[in-house]
Amino acid sequence: MTFEQIVFYFFSGVLVLAAVVVVTVRNPVKAALALVLAFFSAAGLWILLEAEFLAIVLVLVYVGAVMVLFLFVVMMLDINIAELREGFGDYLPIGGIVAALMVVEMAIILGPRRFGLAKVPVPQAHGATFSNTRMLGDLLYTTYVYPFEIAAAILLVAIIAAIALTMRRRPETKYQNPAEQVRVQRSDRLRIIRMPSEKKG
Amino acid sequence: MNFMPALPLIFLFGSTCAILLIGLYVGERRTSVVYVLSQVALITTVALVIRDAQAAPIVALHGMFVRDRLADLLDIAICLLVVAVFVYSRRYLSDRDMYRTEYFVLALFGVVGMMVINSAAHFLSLYLGLELMALSLYAMVAFQRDSARATEAAMKYFVLGALASGMLLYGMSMLYGVTGSLSIAKVASTISAMPPGNIVLVFGLVFVIVGLLFKIGAVPFHMWIPDVYDGAPTVVTLYIGTAPKVAALALILRLLVGGLQALSPSWREMLVIAAFLSMGVGNVVAISQTNLKRMLAYSAIAHMGFALLGLAAGGREGYADALFYLLIYSVMSLGAFGLVALLSGPGREIEYIDDLKGLSQRNPWIAFLMLLLMFAMAGVPPTAGFYAKLAVIQAAVDAHLIWLAVAAVLFSVVGAYYYLRVVKVMYFDAPEDDRPFVLPLDGKFLFGLNGLSMLLLTPWIGTIIAFCHSAIQGLP
Amino acid sequence: MISLSQYLILGAILFALGVVGIFLNRKNVVILLMAIELMLLAVNMNFVAFSSYLNDPAGQIFVFFILTVAAAESAIGLAILIVLFRNRSTINVEDLDTLKG
Repeated sequence: MTFEQIVFYFFSGVLVLAAVVVVTVRNPVKAALALVLAFFSAAGLWILLEAEFLAIVLVLVYVGAVMVLFLFVVMMLDINIAELREGFGDYLPIGGIVAALMVVEMAIILGPRRFGLAKVPVPQAHGATFSNTRMLGDLLYTTYVYPFEIAAAILLVAIIAAIALTMRRRPETKYQNPAEQVRVQRSDRLRIIRMPSEKKG
Repeated sequence: MNFMPALPLIFLFGSTCAILLIGLYVGERRTSVVYVLSQVALITTVALVIRDAQAAPIVALHGMFVRDRLADLLDIAICLLVVAVFVYSRRYLSDRDMYRTEYFVLALFGVVGMMVINSAAHFLSLYLGLELMALSLYAMVAFQRDSARATEAAMKYFVLGALASGMLLYGMSMLYGVTGSLSIAKVASTISAMPPGNIVLVFGLVFVIVGLLFKIGAVPFHMWIPDVYDGAPTVVTLYIGTAPKVAALALILRLLVGGLQALSPSWREMLVIAAFLSMGVGNVVAISQTNLKRMLAYSAIAHMGFALLGLAAGGREGYADALFYLLIYSVMSLGAFGLVALLSGPGREIEYIDDLKGLSQRNPWIAFLMLLLMFAMAGVPPTAGFYAKLAVIQAAVDAHLIWLAVAAVLFSVVGAYYYLRVVKVMYFDAPEDDRPFVLPLDGKFLFGLNGLSMLLLTPWIGTIIAFCHSAIQGLP
Repeated sequence: MISLSQYLILGAILFALGVVGIFLNRKNVVILLMAIELMLLAVNMNFVAFSSYLNDPAGQIFVFFILTVAAAESAIGLAILIVLFRNRSTINVEDLDTLKG
């Protein structure tokens, strides 16, 4: 076995195991952590495929932001895990069989007969000076600028939707208005009244 | 780089962002400003599309964007449908504390997404347009956030929509792997140069079709439609039931006809099955519904089946007939859901068919218009709905799908039963509650136009069909 | 040497796990959302592998956009989940049954 093969089988083994844990475990925190492991292993495989930039993005954006968001929501919702455990594993055997059948059928099509080394040779490795990030950056801001702008619109929609759905204004909450605080005049706070001095009695 | 062909799209995108900012400044009490600006933006977009309408397709933005007759026609249809949706929904929104900037901004971003789909020339723009539309729709369904039903519908819609996107993407990855390109035109030319019977292509195609059928809500991937139509606020159902249907057809035309025409023997077979099942399940299950929105949801599934009939028949004739059918259906659907939104006044929700009891005594004019719409949906001559059904059935006969054409006729007879039941309830049942329906003036006027169009369009049916044909000619 | 088909079969396994996870999960909506992420990871694996073996950067660009959209999608999905939990105090899939007919 070459070094590459060892790396491939190690990472894909961990990846598949982690994926199985994600869909079978009942505790959402454990599932989220298993998904983090799956993303890390996938990033390893992508580095093997010379997609370094995407591997970094997967770890930074996916593990760093999206999965943390998942964990945050799971913790915030305070879900009753004991209740979720009931009826555990009713569908597990059937699900396992269905998944196995799907994989076998797909593997027949995607097997070495059509995508083996004889049909699709391993690509020439890029030299040490080649920058995957530069290549993607060059394309992203020239040829793919239109999708880039649509992606911006998608992120904007996500922001609007998340705010519109979850932001609540509670009437009982008291707010500070900094603009008003800055604009405040002496006359708003202090009233000088003129009154005759009182004689000492 | 030439931006001019994409000017209407860029204009709408820019004005939506501007409306979002203006909405923040004018505050929640003056949403009418946002309403008026949104309408102006949509109508200006239509004007811009018409100004540069050209017969010859232009590919721009590095081959990601195409501007042709089809894109122009669909853009205009979608913008005008959404203008009407806004008119119908204005009072409903203000009665329910939903009259807010976010609603309009999300709806406009949805339109931007649909326009991106209409003009997609690349898998990437197709996918991103689809997601822009879908994300706006998910948020709109959940917009009434105090309603448990609406949020449940949004969750179902979200999960199944994401599943559909995943299927579509998996199929696209296979097509990419075989053809080595993501540009729809290049994929088409590579596939037609290859010897037929490539199993990996068919494998990818199956995933693409499953994803598409999920998105358009055809049987057997229809289960989300009734729940979403029922659970969402009526004005959102009105939106979902009209413009995205047109965009869904654009998705199919761009992807299957534009890109995978060489595989059409394979995908036509799948569409034949989906068309048959959709017409059957939609029409038969609709009969047992007492909830008006659910009934219209199953009717939407059935109508999608009829549109698929045209696509399954194949050929430019078939595609043009499917396009014609869907345009007519979107106008009928606009009217039917529009009425539900208009009649739901403050503290009154029209939910069941029985809520329309005695409508003819309470408001004979509105009842007559609804009668026209129901007749059109059932396909009673001489309404526009009849000609639409005739066109797709004719296409099926021409394609030698005689059994499917016979089934379509039978199912539309079955379907006539539940549309006529609505008419019966409106005309022959005594009203249970005597509160009069007070409709806003603009909504009333538009609904009049909407209902009468089913009759008034009849002399121009030939012109519209000819226009649909010329739109389809631009496809490769 | 690792062949393209090995990566594709890995993608197929992940995809099948994601799909089965969505249909099997009867208890927890959060895990449903994670199964969707798994499906998208499978698609990304396919695209990256094809891109590398075809020596064509377009596939990697596509993955870049899928990652962006998936992040936006999970933000909206989790927002809907929070609203759902506020209304129903549950995220059990089996309890989502008020819409019927």
